[in-house]
Amino acid sequence: MMMKKFINDPDNLVNELLNGFALANADKVKLAGNNLVVRANPKPEDKVAIVTLGGSGHEPALSGYVGEGMLDISVPGEIFAAPGPPRVLEALRMANRPAGVLLVVLNHAGDIMSANMAMQMAEKEGLNVKQILTSEDISTGPRDKPEERRGLIGCLAVIKAAGAAAEQGKSLEECWEIAHRLERNMATLAVAVAPATHPSTGDAISEIPEGDMIIGMGQHGESGSGQMKIKTARETAEIMLDALIEDLSIKAGEDVLMMINGVGSTTLMEQYVVLNSCKEILGGKNINLARCIAGEFLTVQEMGGFQMFLARLDSELTELWDAPCKCPSMAM
Amino acid sequence: MTDTLDCQGLAKMLLGAVEQIRANHARLSELDSHGGDGDHGTTMLRAMENLQSAVSASKCDAPGGLLGEIAWAVMGTDGGATGPLFGSFFMGMQEGAGDKASCDAATLAAMFQAGLDTLCKQTKAQVGDKTIVDALVPAVTAMGQAAAAGGDIAAVLQRGAEAAATGAESTKDIEARFGRAKNAGDKSLGHEDPGAVSASLLFKGFLEGVQQHG
Repeated sequence: MMMKKFINDPDNLVNELLNGFALANADKVKLAGNNLVVRANPKPEDKVAIVTLGGSGHEPALSGYVGEGMLDISVPGEIFAAPGPPRVLEALRMANRPAGVLLVVLNHAGDIMSANMAMQMAEKEGLNVKQILTSEDISTGPRDKPEERRGLIGCLAVIKAAGAAAEQGKSLEECWEIAHRLERNMATLAVAVAPATHPSTGDAISEIPEGDMIIGMGQHGESGSGQMKIKTARETAEIMLDALIEDLSIKAGEDVLMMINGVGSTTLMEQYVVLNSCKEILGGKNINLARCIAGEFLTVQEMGGFQMFLARLDSELTELWDAPCKCPSMAM
Repeated sequence: MTDTLDCQGLAKMLLGAVEQIRANHARLSELDSHGGDGDHGTTMLRAMENLQSAVSASKCDAPGGLLGEIAWAVMGTDGGATGPLFGSFFMGMQEGAGDKASCDAATLAAMFQAGLDTLCKQTKAQVGDKTIVDALVPAVTAMGQAAAAGGDIAAVLQRGAEAAATGAESTKDIEARFGRAKNAGDKSLGHEDPGAVSASLLFKGFLEGVQQHG
């Protein structure tokens, strides 16, 4: 089937999308160096900088979170592919400051390889950088094997908390500790109902039989194990939420943060219905839905489905979540 | 008889690899279409074009310096893990070369070993996982043995090229377990791993680069 996407030249797609993104958000971000997305108004040098990297095609992630209260620099790669180590190092050099730099990395092979190689070079150059890896997809590995868990939408919560901590003037060690604590107390599960098309090649990046949904499919169409006939929002929410609660061992009386992340063609209407079902299910278990958001935060083109994120909140993490931020795709 | 490689000799060796990829990139992409997204040949060609530009632009007069520059150029190639992996190999070779003005057969073999060690730090893939490691490990091992037996540079590269080709051939019978290709499962059976074939082409090119230009 012919791909129906409004693009020009596949080879220039990332350039064009970044230019458009910068135009649309000129008061908050701009492009610098080799297609790095940086803040229009830089953060003072005495505060920790937050940097991340990741493939393009997942808009508004991750560059939509560059701005006051969140990221200082995002390093966008090609479509669904991590940027190479030289541009990551370029970002680390640009962000480098006495207060230090926190590099947020999602657990995907390409991202890790680029991040690690850039980190090795940065350390040789004496840059003050620490790395935090987000790995929270409960469908790809058990809790005690984080290296098998993919990084999904959880990176957003980590960037929000670490970004707020940095804005408050916390040290690199403290920012890392906050990011780490949240990362260890979060879990995500994805469900897919329709595949996405690779915008450069026109190929479907996964196969999903008519009438089925797949619980556990990653954001590149990586295979998931839970294939079944599509269910209602409430039934789906129940399956996914139970798995997340069990993974995190969340008990009655605890506070949680929830994000429903639509990945492309699942409507906001559906996301709200799912979120409302989650509220009812959590209420039945006396778990307090302290904070929640729904929307398209990290997409996969026109893929159908959503990622459900759950995290255990403490008072400090709640305060950091509530802290102000002003980014193209997140404002509080 | 080639006893040592200076910076210029090393450049010729590296450019031999560029020629091999240029001649075979369509086959690499075809191989990649069985398990990956069919762009491996294009990515390798871009990596080699970056390598060639870096060699042309280089003002280095020592092998280590040149290797550092091309490593960086290859590493920056967009398109998944290919650029970073091969780039890390050249980065390791740079460390193996140190600040020597030229390298003999034993140094060259040690440089390749250092390249392999650095690459292996970036991936958990082992021999038998249907990746570039299946070509690189036997090639580097054979080069070390050839150097220890007193072989000259051409002999060392010859053994490396042979072992890399055999290693790449062996990936035909393996089911992909690594990278995005793992999702293709047994669709990859019967086809060589494109990364391993790329690696074997590089080694073939290294040999030809040295032979043609002496």
